[in-house]
Amino acid sequence: MINSMLSRPERITPLVVLALALIAFLCTPLLTGTSLAVYDVYNTLQSFALYGLLALAIGLSMMGGEFDISVVGTYALGGMVAVQLGESYPVFGVFAAVGCGIGIGAMQGGLIAGLRIPSLPVTLATYIALQGLTYAISGGLSVTYSNFDVTLWVNQVVAGIFTPRSLITVSAFLIAALALGCTQLGPQLRAIGGDRRASRVAGIRVERGLLALFMATGALAALGGALIGYSLASADPNPGLQPLLIAIIAALLGGTALTGGRGAPIGLLAGALAVALLAQIGRTASLPTYWTQLSYAVLLAVVVAIDSRGLHRGIDRLRARGRTALWRSIR
Amino acid sequence: MATNVSEVQSKAAACRWRPKAFNIVIAIIVVVLVPIALSTNRFLTIDNAQAILSSAALIGITAVGATLIMIVGSAVSLATAQTAAAAAMVFLATQSLGLGVALLLGLLCGVVVTAVQGVAVGYLEADPIVLTIAANFAIIGIMVLLSGGTPVSASGDAYAVLNQTVLGLPLAVYVLLVLAVATELMLRRTTVGRQMYMVGENRRAARAAGLPVGRVTVVAWVFFGVCTAITGIFMAAFNTRATVFLAGTLTFDTIAAVLVGGTVIAGGRGSVLSTFGGVVLIATIDNLLLLRGYPTGIRTLVQGVIVLIVVVLVHLRLGRAV
Repeated sequence: MINSMLSRPERITPLVVLALALIAFLCTPLLTGTSLAVYDVYNTLQSFALYGLLALAIGLSMMGGEFDISVVGTYALGGMVAVQLGESYPVFGVFAAVGCGIGIGAMQGGLIAGLRIPSLPVTLATYIALQGLTYAISGGLSVTYSNFDVTLWVNQVVAGIFTPRSLITVSAFLIAALALGCTQLGPQLRAIGGDRRASRVAGIRVERGLLALFMATGALAALGGALIGYSLASADPNPGLQPLLIAIIAALLGGTALTGGRGAPIGLLAGALAVALLAQIGRTASLPTYWTQLSYAVLLAVVVAIDSRGLHRGIDRLRARGRTALWRSIR
Repeated sequence: MATNVSEVQSKAAACRWRPKAFNIVIAIIVVVLVPIALSTNRFLTIDNAQAILSSAALIGITAVGATLIMIVGSAVSLATAQTAAAAAMVFLATQSLGLGVALLLGLLCGVVVTAVQGVAVGYLEADPIVLTIAANFAIIGIMVLLSGGTPVSASGDAYAVLNQTVLGLPLAVYVLLVLAVATELMLRRTTVGRQMYMVGENRRAARAAGLPVGRVTVVAWVFFGVCTAITGIFMAAFNTRATVFLAGTLTFDTIAAVLVGGTVIAGGRGSVLSTFGGVVLIATIDNLLLLRGYPTGIRTLVQGVIVLIVVVLVHLRLGRAV
C-alpha cells in the first residue's frame, strides 16, 4: 500500500503539500497570538480564486506534455475584453473573453500539433503578442468596470467563507476532474503527455487531443481573467509574470511535471490551495513579503530535487558503495 | 535497434540541413522591411542607426549568454531579469570600494547566482525551467531582505564613466560587439565550445562519449551570468539606483532575441552572431514602427508575431524533428 503510493509521486505530493500547508496555517496563531478567524479562510479562498483557473490551465497543459506560457497573456486579455465588452451584458463579456481564449488556443494548438513545434517558443511568442494586443486595446492603462451590481454579485459571501468567485473556480476544477476521471480523456491526456509516439501507435488521435487541450487552456485562462476583472472591478493590461509563476508552482506542487504524463485536476486543486494558504499565512502573520517569496523558492527547490535524475543516480551510487563496503566487511 | 538506425539517419539528414536561420532573417529583411524602411522618414540616417544599436545593446549582451545556455540544452532561464537586478544592486551598493572592485563584485554576484544553477542543471540534471523559477523567487526574496525593500543608490558617481559615448555610440554597444565576436570564436574554435553543441544535441550520447557534460553546462551558465551581470551593471549606471525590479521585461526580451536569431529551444544548434542579428532585427523593426508613430502596444504585438513567424520558419527548415 505505502509502496504503491510512494511509487506514484503525483498522488502523494499534493496530499503532503496540502497537509503541511494546512498544519502551518493552523499554527499561525502561535505567531500572531490571536486565533484564526473565519475571515482568514474566506481570504485564502479569494486569493486561491485569483490564480486558480490559471493554475488549472497550465497544469492541464503540463499533464499533456506541453508548457503553455501564453495563458497569462490570455488571462490579461480575457479580463480586458470582459471588462470592456461586458459593461451592460456581463454574460456577453464572459463569452467574448472565453471565445478569444478558444481562438488563441486553436491557433497555437494548430501550429504546435500540426507542425510538431515545441510549445515553449510558440506560446512565448504568443504571450508577447497578446501582451501587446492587451496594451493596445486598453491604451496601457487599467480599465475600470463600472457595473457594480456584477462586482457585488461575484464577491457576495456564501456560507461564510465562499463567494461566487471562489465557487466558480472550485467547480471548474471539479468539472475537469469529472471529465478526466470518468471518461477516457484523462488517460488519453496523460498518454499524450507521457509518450507521444506510443500513444500515436495505440490509436490515440494526438493532434486532435493537443488542439483540444490548447483550446481548453485558453478558455480557462480567459475565464479566469474575466472573473477576476469583474471581481476587482478593473482590468490590468500587464499583470506581469508573477501570476504565471505562481500558477506553475501550484501545478508543480499539485503533482504535475514538465516532463508530462503526470497529475490530475484534484491534485492541481490541492496545489493551488496550498499556495493560497502559504500566501495567507504571510498576510495573517503580517510577515514581510520576502517570506512568501523564499518559501516558494524552497518548495520549488524540493520539487527540483525530487525530480532530479542526477541526484537519484548519486544516491544509488552511494547506496551501492555502502553495500559493497558492507559485503567486504562481512567477508 | 531499427529505431536507433532510423534516428541516426534522421539526425544525419538534419545535419545536412544546417539551420540557415541567418538566411531566413535576411530574407524577411529584404522582402518586408526594405520598402517600408526606404519610405520612412528619417530612418536611413546615421543618428537613427546609432539609436537602433543603442537600444539593442543591453538586451543583446544578455542574449549572447542566453544563446549559450540554449545551445547547451538548458532551454531558458526565467530568472534573467532578477539576476541582472541583483548584480546591479551589488554594483551600486559597493561603489564606496571603488569602481573596479564594484565591477568585479557585480560580475561575481551574477556568476555565483548562475553557477549554482549551472551545477544543478549540469550535474544533478535538474529541470532548468522549474529551477530558474525557484531562482527567480529566491533572488527577489534575498535581495528584498538585504536591501530592506528600498532602492539601492550609490555613493559618489564614479559609475557615470559607463554611460559615456564613444564615437556617438554608448560603451555598451562596443561591449556587445566584442562579446558577440569573442563568444562566437569560443563556440567555433575551442573544445568547450564544440562540446556545448554536442551536449545540447544529445546529452546521453555526450555522456557516453566521455564528454564532461556537467562541466560544459556550468561553463555555459557562468558565461550567461557574466553577460547578465554586465547588462545589470549598465542598467544600474544608467538608472543610478536599483531595485529588484530594475530589469523589467529583460527575461522574455532576451529569449525572444535568441529565438529570432534561429537558435533552437531543444539545444545543439544556434550561433551568437545569429542572435546578434535577431537583436538588431527586433530593434530595427521596433524603431521603424516608432518612427511611423505606432503606440507601444502595437510594437509589442508586432514583436510577438515576428518571434512566432521565425520560430515556425526555423522549425520548418529543420524538418520535422521528433
